[in-house]
Amino acid sequence: MSTFLKDARAYQILFLVSFLLLGIGTRDWTLKPINVLAAIATALVTQALAVLVREWRAGLSAEATSQQPAGESWNWPRVSEQIRASLPSALITSLGLSLLLRTDHPATMGLATSLAILSKFLLRVQDKHIFNPANFGIVAALLLTQDAWVSPGQWGEESWYALLFLGAGGVVLQKVGRWDTSLAFLGSYGLLEAIRNAWLGWSWDVWGHRLMSGSLILFALFMVTDPRTIPNARMGRLMWAIAIASLTFILRNYFFLSTAVFWALFVLAPLTILLDRIWPQASFNWQQTTLPPTSTLSSTSQPVSSLPSGAS
Amino acid sequence: MKLLRVFLLTCVLFFAGLLVATKAWAFCGFYVAKADAKLYNQASQVAIARNGNHTVLTMANDYQGEVKDFAIVVPVPVVLKKEQVEVANPTIMERLDAFSAPRLVEYFDPDPCATNYPYEDRAMPAPAASIAQRAEGRTRENTLGVTIEAKFTVGEYDILILSAKESGGLETWLNQNGYRIPKGARDLLRPYIRQKMKFFVAKVNLGEYEKTGFQNLRPLKMTFDSPRFMLPIRLGMANARGPQDLLVYLLTPNGQAEVTNYRTVKVPSGPEIPTFVKDEFSDFYKAMFQQSYTREGRNVAFLEYAWDMGSCDPCSADPLTREELKQAGVFWLDSPSESTQPVPPFGRRPAMPSSSVFITRLHVRYSRDKFPEDLMFQETNNREFFQGRYVLRHAYMGEATCPAGRAYRRSLPRRFEQEAQTLARLTGWNIQSIRDKLPRIQVQFFPLWQRLWTALTGQ
Repeated sequence: MSTFLKDARAYQILFLVSFLLLGIGTRDWTLKPINVLAAIATALVTQALAVLVREWRAGLSAEATSQQPAGESWNWPRVSEQIRASLPSALITSLGLSLLLRTDHPATMGLATSLAILSKFLLRVQDKHIFNPANFGIVAALLLTQDAWVSPGQWGEESWYALLFLGAGGVVLQKVGRWDTSLAFLGSYGLLEAIRNAWLGWSWDVWGHRLMSGSLILFALFMVTDPRTIPNARMGRLMWAIAIASLTFILRNYFFLSTAVFWALFVLAPLTILLDRIWPQASFNWQQTTLPPTSTLSSTSQPVSSLPSGAS
Repeated sequence: MKLLRVFLLTCVLFFAGLLVATKAWAFCGFYVAKADAKLYNQASQVAIARNGNHTVLTMANDYQGEVKDFAIVVPVPVVLKKEQVEVANPTIMERLDAFSAPRLVEYFDPDPCATNYPYEDRAMPAPAASIAQRAEGRTRENTLGVTIEAKFTVGEYDILILSAKESGGLETWLNQNGYRIPKGARDLLRPYIRQKMKFFVAKVNLGEYEKTGFQNLRPLKMTFDSPRFMLPIRLGMANARGPQDLLVYLLTPNGQAEVTNYRTVKVPSGPEIPTFVKDEFSDFYKAMFQQSYTREGRNVAFLEYAWDMGSCDPCSADPLTREELKQAGVFWLDSPSESTQPVPPFGRRPAMPSSSVFITRLHVRYSRDKFPEDLMFQETNNREFFQGRYVLRHAYMGEATCPAGRAYRRSLPRRFEQEAQTLARLTGWNIQSIRDKLPRIQVQFFPLWQRLWTALTGQ
């Protein structure tokens, strides 16, 4: 198996591309290929440039502090390796945005993607970025532009899609060891909806219909689980997922926001900092050599190379 | 309109007989008869004009029963006062329908020998065939927990706005007051009561009705502010014996509206189909819609039209005038006219109110098993135009003896066959019976050497 396939991101990319093709092929999406291209190109270029700038600045500060001669701190093979290693993450962000964000103009998609990538570099606390990049891009596009939207009903509510997403998501989550987050999110959201359903007196197919939403399941498996932005410790992740599920439930049922999940994740993302302080744990690295002890199911994630955690 | 009428006729739902005291149910709520009667419901049309939380909802039903028996119960998000309820101009739904209906477009191939241009480029569009107050104070019925929040008469309707504490009480109250509500209604009323929704109950005031001089009941229009952008369809399905059809015209300032808890799917559009469909367009559309409905799993909302109200191409009816739009509930037109051009990327639209109106026509065929939840909508910034459009290309049937003309004639059988196959695929009709209706083309056979000679010499 090549080293590429040992990286959980390879599976994520594979699945996201499949979903994109599946969606275009079987669902009636107003998805423009030019927007997908714009997202991918912008993500890769922004990521590469941002890594370059970060390394350049790191080099400058190293020179300033260690009195190194100018130019010696710049190690091009190391920088290019960092760029190469971080591009899959950028690709995932752009594919996620292509799946979720709709717009009439490639420029808007480009803006959303570049803001998504830049948020990873600019909005950081310690060695972690605060926001899920794709989520940040979506919220930024919804807030800053007037021609972007999200279609929560785009996947419909058919069970075989749900099973497909669960299967694919299961593979990725098993590799990164973050299945607990999806489970906590879906479980607590499902429970809240069940309580509401029972209280209102709806028949149970209403509950089933609400939970079978392809968009919700995709979100639960592929967005809320991003190991680079969620709390490091299992207890933190559980708390965090339950908080997002609760806020989603409130926004959807009491404020009638159809895009509730994205706002809930966006608003609660900074909570990660607090949760990481309460339950400290080593942060996740896509190509780490050792796994956090809580990630018992991620033992198949194989070591590749030890890169600085900035390669996100 | 003609199409729609025929179309609607097929969606007829039969309800109560004289002996069985069940009632016809409709989209947002249900019809409840004041007496045992035979009710006959076809399809419902709803127009929703919405900007922000401000909503103007117009409901029109093809109610066919005795006017004195008409009564309807609709859950509404807030208590409505007399000034928030009006009767709408009955023609407004017809106008919205005619403007947004799926359409046939005809092209006539010109004489292929007339010039040297390829005939495809010179197809000429032809006009399309279109488918076309006695307000009283709050009264509490204490024992049943039902409160009459408002009571007034608007046009030919006597209207009550009820709130209830529990569904059994509301059911009893409605029964005691002569509204015969269907069995099982109690279970369906409860979720709405628990969501603190109110009940809009309307029946016909016969005295007022006679004064209006109208043959049919006019649409009811209600104006309210609510963050809920939805249509309660569940009530209307309790006793339904088959799928019901609902046309929703969503009028919004920015772009297309869509359903958020079901998929919104475009109806097939743009195919070239055999010209005989012109005389059978309503059958064609009906069959095509049914085919698409089945193919998509019977649980989607179909987009039939999405366009800026300022234009149409081709127009199946004149765009609605400013006055008509106001009648349809559009309330943000009072500002000076502004451009309705699409907004450039990152460009902010001018602050509302503006004069832009985007219409989305959704056709939902819903049934209890596939639509467990009420319809929830959202407006998007999607300004892509879409129309259900079907193309008829009339072949040039005159003499065409020039080489281009002969090539044209030779190309026709294949073209007709393709059109026939498209039609069969769209409608599920038998391909052989379609072929039987295709125009007959006498293609003169030329030996290969002669065709080569023609190609070389151009004669």
